[in-house]
Amino acid sequence: MGWEEMQVRGYPEFVRTAQSYHGRPIFALFCGDKDAEGRSWCPDCVTAEPIVRKELHNLPDESVFIYCLVGDRAYWKDPNNEFRRNLKLTGVPTLLKYGTPQKLVEEECFKAELVRMLFTED
Amino acid sequence: SVQAHKEEDNPQKTMEVNGLTPVPDSYDYDLIVIGGGSGGLAAAKEAAKYGKKVMVLDFVTPTPQGSSWGLGGTCVNVGCIPKKLMHQAALLGQALQDSRKFGWQFTEEVEHNWMTMTESVQNYIGSLNWGYRVALRDTKVTYENAYGEFVGPHTIKATNKKGIEKLYTAERFIIATGERPRYLGIPGDKEYCISSDDLFSLPYCPGKTLVVGASYVALECAGFLAGLGLDVTVMVRSILLRGFDQDMANKIGEYMKEHGVNFIREFVPIKVEQVEEGTPGILKVTAKSTTGGQMIEGEYNTVLLAIGRDPCTRKIGLDKVGVNINEKTGKIPVNDEEQTNVPHIYAVGDILQGKLELTPVAIQAGRLLVRRLYAGETTKCDYVNVPTTVFTPLEYGACGYSEETAVEKFGEENIEVYHSHFWPLEWTVPSRDNNKCYAKIICNIQDNERVIGFHVLGPNAGEVTQGFAAAIKCGLTKEQLDSTIGIHPVCAEV
Repeated sequence: MGWEEMQVRGYPEFVRTAQSYHGRPIFALFCGDKDAEGRSWCPDCVTAEPIVRKELHNLPDESVFIYCLVGDRAYWKDPNNEFRRNLKLTGVPTLLKYGTPQKLVEEECFKAELVRMLFTED
Repeated sequence: SVQAHKEEDNPQKTMEVNGLTPVPDSYDYDLIVIGGGSGGLAAAKEAAKYGKKVMVLDFVTPTPQGSSWGLGGTCVNVGCIPKKLMHQAALLGQALQDSRKFGWQFTEEVEHNWMTMTESVQNYIGSLNWGYRVALRDTKVTYENAYGEFVGPHTIKATNKKGIEKLYTAERFIIATGERPRYLGIPGDKEYCISSDDLFSLPYCPGKTLVVGASYVALECAGFLAGLGLDVTVMVRSILLRGFDQDMANKIGEYMKEHGVNFIREFVPIKVEQVEEGTPGILKVTAKSTTGGQMIEGEYNTVLLAIGRDPCTRKIGLDKVGVNINEKTGKIPVNDEEQTNVPHIYAVGDILQGKLELTPVAIQAGRLLVRRLYAGETTKCDYVNVPTTVFTPLEYGACGYSEETAVEKFGEENIEVYHSHFWPLEWTVPSRDNNKCYAKIICNIQDNERVIGFHVLGPNAGEVTQGFAAAIKCGLTKEQLDSTIGIHPVCAEV
């Protein structure tokens, strides 16, 4: 089987989903919430998302791609929010390989080469 | 299968007139760096800055115990970084004990969990490995996790872990393959003993440990293992910290002995046997005296060998390209521009003959070399007055001459040694030793009492030494030192 995508919102849903796929490679893209027109409050996330999506076909078989909306701008700015505290996220967008120290943060997500490296190399 | 890479759209390189040997007029790369450690990565990243086409080959041959690691070399994976973190873990243990005297109250006895520490350390190292890969990819440096060896004057064969071979050519090469721990060559050494290559990722607590060796690696490891509460013995063949100021070395040894590290002096192991399997198991070590026929035996959970490191220069095809190495030590002699006897092949880092084996030295040498090659600079690496620190339980920072070397070079009557014990303020309240911390400077009387050696034994020795190294580089004299007002209350004011 190829790869599959799950879309979640908020920390508890993210954790539940990640745990349910335990044992498979899990990649996650964290972005700011989107408004009714589908636009995120986070301009870098707007830039990064299409670039990341274009590389998804490189994901290894059996892997899961979790697209996670973290919350509104105020929630994100809180230095104690669960994503910062528990997942050690420092910015959005963040693209990471769950359970490893491998991640790309902010402008690093704009670089297709780096996204591809994260998806395809050990 | 073997493929030769030839990039057709490479710009033409100048034809090399090299006797009758025909050479290709365009190479795959401007520069191939063999070894992705401190020196290699610094050089590669610097070369990329000048728009050069660079490849880095890095490969870790697993240890006899099966340990391996990612991109970054010894320092990041099995050297300075995990060492300092584990040293810090031990210091924190000491701080917890001291804290009671400063009023902190806790009823539980404090214990150390090896796995928690090791996982955190390995996680951090993993982020560094990843960071290097991102940095290389971002600066368009090609990185391959493959074992590189010369097969021709401008050609490298790279073999990856699946055994696939590829050939690459380059105009110039930098060898930065570093070193690996030496084994004793006695029965049971590779089967049962570990080295620093294994220690920092050991998936179980080492337990009662015998450290064989008297290098800084041996003493630092013995130091933090004891600091974490383990029963540690150090087996020393002759002196401690060969090459370092012996006065300081002995003080370090004394301190460790008084703080729970056992020393067995003037013995060498002659065999290691397994008494019981396990993680850890039980090993029996038989050792022989170096001064008589006496034999002793001891049982330990873990035997850590730290008797020296050997350069990785014997199996990289240097004979095929005529690069000279010191046959006895494996080190590569280079001129003061890090050039080997083969003009287009250079070397940096621990493998160099006669140079200090330190990460910052390798980095500096690598960067300056690349700037000379591609940016028209002329600055050479300054190997004199390089500061260093040994992170034993009582830290030792030094810059410049040891007392012995100064006496040898200048004559005893021409040097003056100023020294002092000191008692860190932070140690007073918890009643820690009041006569162990020590500082000395060695001055050249004939040269305005220029400070030519700086030695300090005490907490944060590395932090203290760094600034003095800069002062020494500027030609610090005793008078200037005396006229510098101290910061109070800190150890460095002494």
